[in-house]
Amino acid sequence: MRPPPTILLAITLLSACRPKEAGAPSGGVARIPTPPASGSLKGAAAESGTLRRRLFGEPGTLNAVLQSDVPEQLVLQYLSRNLFDFDSRMNLVPGLAERIEFSPDGLACTISLRSEAVWEDGTPVTPADAVFTIRKIADPGTASPLYKALFQELVSVEEAGPRSFRARFREPYAYRAMAFAMPLLPARRFARQAFERAPDNRAPLSNGPYRLVSWRAQESIALERNPRYWGPPGRFDRVFFRILPENSVAYRALLQGDLDETWIDAALKQRAAQDPAFAACCRLVEFYDLDYNYIALNARLPFFADARARRALTMLLNRQSIAQTLYEGSARVISGPWAPESPAYDATVAPLPFDPKEAAVLLEEAGWRDSNGNGIRDRNGREFDFELLVSAGNTIGRQIDETFAAELARAGVRARVRTLEWASFVERLDSGSFEAASLASSASDPNPDPYPYWHSSQWPPRGLNSGFYRNPVADRLMEEARRERDEKRRIALFHRLHRIFRDDAPAIFVVNATKKYALSRALEGVETSPLGPFGIWPGPLAWSMPAAPARVAP
Amino acid sequence: MSAAQELSVPLARPRAGLPGSGGVALAIVVLLWLVAAISPLCARRAAEIRLEERLASPSATHPFGTDDLGRDLLARVVVATPISLAIGLTAAAVSVLVGFAVGASAGYFGGVTDLVLSRLVEVVLCFPVLFLLLALAAFLPPSPTAVILAIGLTTWPGDARYARAEVLKVKDLDYARAARAAGASAPRILIRHLLPNILPPLLVSAAFGVAWAILAEAALSFLGVGLPASTTSWGGILAAAPTYIEEAWWMALFPGLALFLTVAAYNLLAEGLRSRTVGRGRG
Amino acid sequence: MIRYTLRRLALAVPTLAGIVVLVFLLLHLAPGSPVSAMGAESGRRVSARAAEEMRRQYGLDRPLPERFGAWIGRIARLDLGESFVDRRPVGERIREALPYTLLLNGLALLLTLGIAIPLGVAAGGRPEGPLDRVSGVALFALYSLPSFWAALLLQALFSVRLRWLPLYGVASDSAPTGLGGLLDRLEHLALPVVCLTYGSLAFFARLVRSGVAEMRQQDFVLAARARGASARRALWAHAFRNALLPLITLLGLVLPGLLSGSVIIEKIFAWPGVGRLYFDSILARDYPVVLALSLLGAVATLAVTLAADLAYALADPRVRDGTEAR
Repeated sequence: MRPPPTILLAITLLSACRPKEAGAPSGGVARIPTPPASGSLKGAAAESGTLRRRLFGEPGTLNAVLQSDVPEQLVLQYLSRNLFDFDSRMNLVPGLAERIEFSPDGLACTISLRSEAVWEDGTPVTPADAVFTIRKIADPGTASPLYKALFQELVSVEEAGPRSFRARFREPYAYRAMAFAMPLLPARRFARQAFERAPDNRAPLSNGPYRLVSWRAQESIALERNPRYWGPPGRFDRVFFRILPENSVAYRALLQGDLDETWIDAALKQRAAQDPAFAACCRLVEFYDLDYNYIALNARLPFFADARARRALTMLLNRQSIAQTLYEGSARVISGPWAPESPAYDATVAPLPFDPKEAAVLLEEAGWRDSNGNGIRDRNGREFDFELLVSAGNTIGRQIDETFAAELARAGVRARVRTLEWASFVERLDSGSFEAASLASSASDPNPDPYPYWHSSQWPPRGLNSGFYRNPVADRLMEEARRERDEKRRIALFHRLHRIFRDDAPAIFVVNATKKYALSRALEGVETSPLGPFGIWPGPLAWSMPAAPARVAP
Repeated sequence: MSAAQELSVPLARPRAGLPGSGGVALAIVVLLWLVAAISPLCARRAAEIRLEERLASPSATHPFGTDDLGRDLLARVVVATPISLAIGLTAAAVSVLVGFAVGASAGYFGGVTDLVLSRLVEVVLCFPVLFLLLALAAFLPPSPTAVILAIGLTTWPGDARYARAEVLKVKDLDYARAARAAGASAPRILIRHLLPNILPPLLVSAAFGVAWAILAEAALSFLGVGLPASTTSWGGILAAAPTYIEEAWWMALFPGLALFLTVAAYNLLAEGLRSRTVGRGRG
Repeated sequence: MIRYTLRRLALAVPTLAGIVVLVFLLLHLAPGSPVSAMGAESGRRVSARAAEEMRRQYGLDRPLPERFGAWIGRIARLDLGESFVDRRPVGERIREALPYTLLLNGLALLLTLGIAIPLGVAAGGRPEGPLDRVSGVALFALYSLPSFWAALLLQALFSVRLRWLPLYGVASDSAPTGLGGLLDRLEHLALPVVCLTYGSLAFFARLVRSGVAEMRQQDFVLAARARGASARRALWAHAFRNALLPLITLLGLVLPGLLSGSVIIEKIFAWPGVGRLYFDSILARDYPVVLALSLLGAVATLAVTLAADLAYALADPRVRDGTEAR
């Protein structure tokens, strides 16, 4: 039996705002455009010098498949090109791969690799590498926390030609192409050895603009330019990552010229604003990204089973005041499970207002009255008294929770704020054994699909719908959106969902706050995006430092 | 002998009551307990969140400034006093009592008792404190009791080792032998005759234990396994301070000052008591 | 004495067994798992399927006794296993971190003793004297200063404002060799050593002081003075010798701490030591590393306790006789 004729399908993911490329492919065949060789790197002669960056903690591995958290990602961006990357406008752009083509049923896709892509040792990047990597990710014996979920529905993957491979999935999925924003491993380097213990995991073979020079445990990682890199060369001779767990220490290191960039929080931003030493050497970049915070409510509890009570609680949290004070104005109140930067967010869905009076009415309607006069509402003999979890180190979350608890107390509801260290906190969430929890949604890609977090099939322990939310109408819309290939219609579905989420209040959506980075003034070409300054291409690879950094006199 | 007598004149200065620093210490301790007693009066003010006044520096309205949520820091420090004192004292008491009971018994009875009890002490001693604190705090629901237990139960082996060593040192001295010969029971000898003599280092240890417990509670809060945020303690306030180290020095200074007063007062008091008990024990 | 030592060594076995079982149980029964600990930095959670597979990979799906048996079996072969986090041998990770912590904490302890003992003896020589009072208050003030606070303040003053000392790390990136390199390392050590020292001064100094103050009026000290020994000699040779016993006990308690390091100081000064490794491993639920470090700490504690007891026996024959009599 012959395979069905492949019709190339447009990748319409979030491409509406992409600028028109010259020389777009003709014949109704749309594909991800290949940028001119120079790209935004302008092919300029490489500059010398060292870029000094910061890591919060030590990477556990430099094996791209096994990576699990931010430190690995920051370093690997220099060493391992992805098949596709997101650019600063969240469009997919080619990396190791040139294009992706979907079959008409949307179940299979064929990806063609760039012919010039080579590993650090000069051997080409092959479809065999891609097949090996994807099979490894899907292998139940491999721990791949970052990519596992993306290939959960994989049926098969095999080579489809000298430069291409084909992957087949069980279900069509509107955001399938995003799964391929992933790096590759050189298959032959892992032959005949335990994958988890391969020497390459500590000293990876690069196919990116830089290669590893040294890695000193708990101290630093040094990279240098990869002379065999097939794209435009990196701007710095060396990139030096320093592991600095303490935020305020990193800030001081920046002022001393020991670092060129660091993430800062609202408190440090305030400090920087009043510090002449900061103004002399550094600058602040601030932008809205896709992260937002919310308070998850467990619908299995009598308090949160009723949408009226959940709405009442939302109206008891003074989000406007929190954005103005705790965030110093650099936050926006949100009304649904997306940040306003996401196309799924419908700006016309106004957040519920802060309205204690209306909230009291709603609570009464839901049957919560203070029947025994002790100042706490109750229903059927149970007091409206719940535990509000927050993870240790989430300062702003704790501040929000304490503010919230004080407001709730005035409305006759008791919230007991409790901090838990991360592993215990997550375990409580994942198993659904919590009452309410303050947390942040943090995105690594622009995929706005709410299904994994709010669909009723994703209740614990099977999925991440930790609050046991169920709404049949919302369920149907989410299922539909996953299959809908037309972006406009998909966005329309999300907007309908948004309204439901606002009125149903499956959780208390709090704010979308800005991300803040402090940078050396000498650093140029820093582009921010809703995905942050790092998780995009070329992102940090386009940074440069034309002038020597100004150092503050002691 | 004459030389010794000459010498003993300046050395054995008579000590009526608690002279000098002992008196000051007692005054501070009384003051701390007074503050603790009136603290409920401040509860309302301490809980009042005013976000628009957050991180305000000390002024007439807020003598100690405000914290990161605009709460009055003076009121917060006052409200935290009874909780922190209770944590410090109870945890130290648990530690010293358990430590004395185990250590003194081991030292006094020797033999198999010593063998078993010393192993027990060693097991707990070898146990990573930080880990035990984290584990206990994670198991027990957050409350002052849990924190007291977690801290007290991890520090007693140190006291037990002191007690055992000191008992070994004094149990064969004449007065103890005499008491034994006179047919005194073991607990009686331990408590009436040996305790006064091994009390000095134990008291010093207990006085430090008070402060250690309060600081440990701060560290636990810092790590997120301390008291629930709704319970105000000096440690809790201190733990929130590093974020604002340059913006709001008062957030660390005032609870730190309260902590210092407590540590200094209890230590000086312990030393004052020690000089008295030593006199009596030998008499 | 040899018999005493041997007996004590034999007794260490049940102690070790007890610790091993306890740590293992607590660790595995504590809430959280290596899987739920993931994403602490990004705040991203692992999908249910990936979580399940990882649990199987780490062997967490097997019953507790089986896991314990496997671990003990490896330990018996002196194999500490491999870290869940980076899949490297646990021994290798510990070997990397241990020298840094030993250096830092060892220096801090030496400095503590170097200041605390003379101060304690001097203060104890004249209880309630000016030195006693001033040093007492000053030491308690230092003791009540939380180390995270002090470390950040010292950095602000000496590294940021005055620029005398480096902010963090063990050495400069381009450290010279030879004497210059040594100097560079000492500069990096200065602040963390001070931060580790100031807090423990009070305890040591007050302990020595109380021992000396107690002994100075005792017959044998007075007798020594009567025999014509100078006041200084009487204090040091006799009174201090007596205060030495509790000091040895205390040392026995703090010496094993040299291995475990201080989390807060190592974090603030980006010191690549055991304290950070241990703390990060607890947070990451990296069971093999936590178990290995706990075991190591236990062995060290036992060794030092033993040494302290032997020293005790030497310093005070009654202890040895009393114990050996039974």
